[in-house]
Amino acid sequence: MSRAWLAVFAAVILLPLAVRHALASEIWIFAIFGLGLNLLLGYTGLLSFGQSTFFGSAGYVSGYLLKHYGINVFAALGIGVLVGAVSAALVGYLCVQRSGLYFIMLTFALNQMFYFIAYQWTTVTGGEDGMPGIGRPVLLGVDFRQPLAYYIFVALLFLVSLWVMKRIVESPLGKILQAIRENEVRAQAVGYDGARLKLLAFVIGGAFSGLAGVLYAMLFGIVPLEAIGFVFSGNVVFATLIGGSGSLYGPIIGSFVFIWLSESVSVVWARWPLLLGVAFVIVVIFFRGGCVEAWARFWSWRERRRMATRLAS
Amino acid sequence: MALLRTENVTKAFGALTAVNGVSLEVEAGSLHSIIGPNGAGKTTLFNLFTGQLTPTSGRIVFDGRDITGTPSHRVAHLGIARSFQRTNVFPALSLLDNVWIAAFARRGSWRGFAWRRADRYPEVTERALAALRDVGLQDRANQLAREISHGEQRQLELAIALAAAPRLLLLDEPAAGLSPDETQRMVALVRGLKGRYTIVLIEHKMDIIMGVSDRVSVMHFGSLIAEGTPAEIQRNADVRRAYLGGVVVE
Repeated sequence: MSRAWLAVFAAVILLPLAVRHALASEIWIFAIFGLGLNLLLGYTGLLSFGQSTFFGSAGYVSGYLLKHYGINVFAALGIGVLVGAVSAALVGYLCVQRSGLYFIMLTFALNQMFYFIAYQWTTVTGGEDGMPGIGRPVLLGVDFRQPLAYYIFVALLFLVSLWVMKRIVESPLGKILQAIRENEVRAQAVGYDGARLKLLAFVIGGAFSGLAGVLYAMLFGIVPLEAIGFVFSGNVVFATLIGGSGSLYGPIIGSFVFIWLSESVSVVWARWPLLLGVAFVIVVIFFRGGCVEAWARFWSWRERRRMATRLAS
Repeated sequence: MALLRTENVTKAFGALTAVNGVSLEVEAGSLHSIIGPNGAGKTTLFNLFTGQLTPTSGRIVFDGRDITGTPSHRVAHLGIARSFQRTNVFPALSLLDNVWIAAFARRGSWRGFAWRRADRYPEVTERALAALRDVGLQDRANQLAREISHGEQRQLELAIALAAAPRLLLLDEPAAGLSPDETQRMVALVRGLKGRYTIVLIEHKMDIIMGVSDRVSVMHFGSLIAEGTPAEIQRNADVRRAYLGGVVVE
């Protein structure tokens, strides 16, 4: 087993000892959301500014079914994944035909459309008040209302998600998506249908967002309107970039930094997004590969210094 | 038998007719060169063969099958591979991954392509390594494409085309931008491929063409003005006027 996986396991075990269980759960949920985005952003080179479309839609649909029909937790998760994937297929189909700025603006515009549907459709979504009253049903005798029980559930699903994403990026598809990112014309000439494969990346990313959306709704017992808003879409892009979009593990680190900062600093200082802004500027100017790159550079710098002192003595 | 045949292929961009009524036959197993001055329409013709562009009129037939207007990713699956005049590789990927992706595309089945680990396809990796060996880059398999020299990138460009195990290989000025030394090496490489593949070679440097080609077609302002063996082309007065500007080279 690699060092990265050991670090992830250690974090999963230690995190609930250090912070509130709900906060710890939120970190892993946001990490699942980030994993999905990073398949698009880091691997395929598509900056989607509308990921909350899939996150929120899944939250609303599964939340509604949980609230009114008390469906099984696994059914809720399955439906959430499906809603995430289907909504991503719809949005993706319209977006992958375009590239560059037009692509980004389309993901954003469609996100706004979904947002206003949720905003207007108050009988179902509760509009501005959100959709409260979503329970966490008992499953196999385990009461998920216990924060620790729910944390373990979320953490396990996160580990499964990470494993699935690792398989995907290490498969031929992972290589092909990177080839499309690097040079779409050549990828086409070699025999790949760029638009279709980008759509596939979208659907996979949407499925991950959907899973995260349902877990989020169950965590807080409510789907707030923000869960489908553009700020949420921005946050996940933000977190992924800070963590490092070039690496599978980047979004996990990003989620940790983002959620932890927003929780701990926002209590002390209401203007905390300013800090995030500064962090973002530093990343964009100095560390395009985010925390992952900063870490790698720190190690190579230390290594070089050690070599230098050894040579000097 | 002709592996590739075009019938009166024309491509117009508005008022500009880049390719004008070109009819051409490429014999299976031969090396067929297309020469002509810059802007004669040679690359446009390649783009028509490979589906990057759709002809305004005319037909393109590959192995008895009409491929006019077939999108480029489908054309690739039929077994037509090309190299590009401007280096067109995947910069941030390793050399092995560059050719691996091309080799994988020609695998008949997509089974497990989103789940099975990429290193569990030994036959694809083998073919990719063979393509790197063919162009002499096997020792640099793990380097990134953006880290190698321009000359090596030209070789990689060729390896990507070879990795697809093509039935028809379209080479667009493989020696573009190379030093005389590197050009010699590239010519030797192309000569080594002759007989193993059916090749269509675009060049505007006469000396490269004459030694290796079986047939030569000459393009000028979008039209074919002559076709024949290298010796016939060298004697052809029209070609000298149009292409060499009246200067006699021996």
